Amino acid sequence: MDEAFQIEAQALAQVLDELDYFQVLKIGQNASPPEIKAAYYRESRAYHPDRFSTLPQSELKEMIGRIYKRINEAYVCLREDVKRAKYLADILGPERQKKLRFVEASEQEMKKEKEQEVGATPQGRKFYMAGLADMAAQRFAAAERNFKMALTYEPNNPNFKAKRDEAGKLIKNDMSIR
Amino acid sequence: MAEPGDIAIGIDLGTSYSCVSILENGQTSVIPNEWGERTHASVVSFLEDGTVLVGNSAKRNIITNADNTVYSAKRLIGRFYFSDEVKKAQAVMPYKIIEGENNSVRIQIRENVYSLPEISALVLKEMKSIVENYLGHEVKKAVVTVPAYFNDNQRQATKDAGRIAGLEVLRILNEPTAAALAYGFGKDITQKIAVYDLGGGTFDISILEIGKDVFEVLSTAGDTYLGGDDFDDRIMTWLAEGFLKQHGIDLRLNKYCLQMLKEASERAKIDVGRDGVAKIHVEGICQDPTGKVMDLDAQLTEAEFNRMVMDLVQRTFKVCDEALQSAKMTAQDLDAVILVGGPTRLPIIRTSVKHYFGKDVMAGIDPDEVVAMGAAIQAHSLMEAKGDGAASGAHYLLDVTPLTLRVGTVGGYTDKIIDKNTPIPIERSKSYTTNRDGQEKVKIRVYQGESNKASDCEMLGEFEFSGFRIGYRGEVRIEVTFEIDTNGIVNVTAADVETGQKTSCTIRLSSGLTEDMIKAATEKNARTTLARGEAAA
Repeated sequence: MDEAFQIEAQALAQVLDELDYFQVLKIGQNASPPEIKAAYYRESRAYHPDRFSTLPQSELKEMIGRIYKRINEAYVCLREDVKRAKYLADILGPERQKKLRFVEASEQEMKKEKEQEVGATPQGRKFYMAGLADMAAQRFAAAERNFKMALTYEPNNPNFKAKRDEAGKLIKNDMSIR
Repeated sequence: MAEPGDIAIGIDLGTSYSCVSILENGQTSVIPNEWGERTHASVVSFLEDGTVLVGNSAKRNIITNADNTVYSAKRLIGRFYFSDEVKKAQAVMPYKIIEGENNSVRIQIRENVYSLPEISALVLKEMKSIVENYLGHEVKKAVVTVPAYFNDNQRQATKDAGRIAGLEVLRILNEPTAAALAYGFGKDITQKIAVYDLGGGTFDISILEIGKDVFEVLSTAGDTYLGGDDFDDRIMTWLAEGFLKQHGIDLRLNKYCLQMLKEASERAKIDVGRDGVAKIHVEGICQDPTGKVMDLDAQLTEAEFNRMVMDLVQRTFKVCDEALQSAKMTAQDLDAVILVGGPTRLPIIRTSVKHYFGKDVMAGIDPDEVVAMGAAIQAHSLMEAKGDGAASGAHYLLDVTPLTLRVGTVGGYTDKIIDKNTPIPIERSKSYTTNRDGQEKVKIRVYQGESNKASDCEMLGEFEFSGFRIGYRGEVRIEVTFEIDTNGIVNVTAADVETGQKTSCTIRLSSGLTEDMIKAATEKNARTTLARGEAAA
């Protein structure tokens, strides 16, 4: 392996956790999609683990593996316009250092979405689940009561509200049939 | 460092047939066995004298030595005993499928019990020995292909099979990726292609962007329960029901008749594809209640056959839709379509594929051999790579993980960790805190699949971490790192966030083999003598 590359890889591995994805792929923050892809190919040619397959396991090989995984991580984020825009806003913001790796941030968002779905508080979740069970059994009035209870714990949960309204409508339909 | 003569082989380990190839002097060649056969039935027949027959001559034993002849092992490899696929196999396979420890699957042959990797290892041993006979020296390294849609359990089990056969598995390579490599290797083209791979037991579709030296998989999708075997099954049902109507005897009730029926169906499928009509004649398939020997006679036309299998063909296109969608493409964006796998010789497949993609399929690619050839190219390149400046002729496979990696959460749900179609190798970490005072262990269940319900996903295993600090609840944070390596195999490690101390991990539940089991199996495999059959009639 040539020495210049070894030095480069070592230097890169050392600062890897301080780089944003644009820096990992060595591109500007306004790079176009074809430029992102070209950069990904260029870095793959340099750091793809297959290039080093016959070398014995070593610290350097591990470093290269770590770098390449980060290159893939960067590409996955930047190749998608929506993710990329969010990521760019993240790293330009005050919490740049914490948001260099998109996965952590998206994890938080996913969690939030999920909480909105089934509830962020144990009591809210409990009444929400009870409401769902009532809906399944077509006990719409009971369902509405449970969703209303759930809302007292999480007044701003949009999913709870939607379910309460849905139950309310079904009660009316139910009445009209009778 | 590579010694002279040190070579790595490419093995396409198929559900029905396997094929082996090497790259020599810049050319890939499929290595035939001593009878000139280029593909070999993935059938293992255990003979009375303790030797083992593998390949096309073993296939003839499915009827005569039914209890001791194992075929379609790939359908069972890496599966749990409770899975539907195993139940289905138990109903139709003449060999004995039993439960091993940890919900694993075992095959019982006489008084011996084999794991699935051990069975596949015998097929690999035969492939290895075919090349060794050809080269005149030992071969120790290989690239082995798997369906792109194989999950971690299936990949791990296939890798174990390689080790048991005495091979260092340099890479578990996806079959469609291998085919794309064989197609684009040394061609200097820039194209977007689809690889439509319908094998004996599995279906894969991969969308790739290939360039001079980079092969990027944009998406992959598949169905590991759909293959040529299912086409045979349709013919079988048709034959059996016809016979039942005519003679009042259900041939499917007897495992011996069932095998004759299966063989006839496979032949009929090939005949109808080649000649447009198949004349089916099986002499002495059964006896009637009075003891009179009966023959099976039928004629299958192409139109009839096409009607029988149309829904199976349509199912493949649902999967194609999914792959195109993941790649954010439509069929019009593609430059070429490559067909892989024996069943793609069928006119119904060729015309349907042409219709779906709106373009002719690539000619001049052997659907039975192209995967092994791609594996040989990759094997060669992995032997050459020394980390020098980009060598001329070097190429890079940028492959993806086919399934979303998940962890189990409360109430039978799962959280996404790594999305499907993410380039590999990749890693992602997730922090966990203890939820009890003095907690000593953290348990994590890992799944692969596309549903947020755990029960709809495939479980990979349960990992138990210990050895971190003991503290009040919520005080101790451990960071669990999920890694998918270049083989598509999942590794899970954990560390105490504060101290950086790596914790120890026990895999509590897994269909895999332990190191000791692999060691014992390797010795057993090495002691096993491969019987030599005879050339096909």
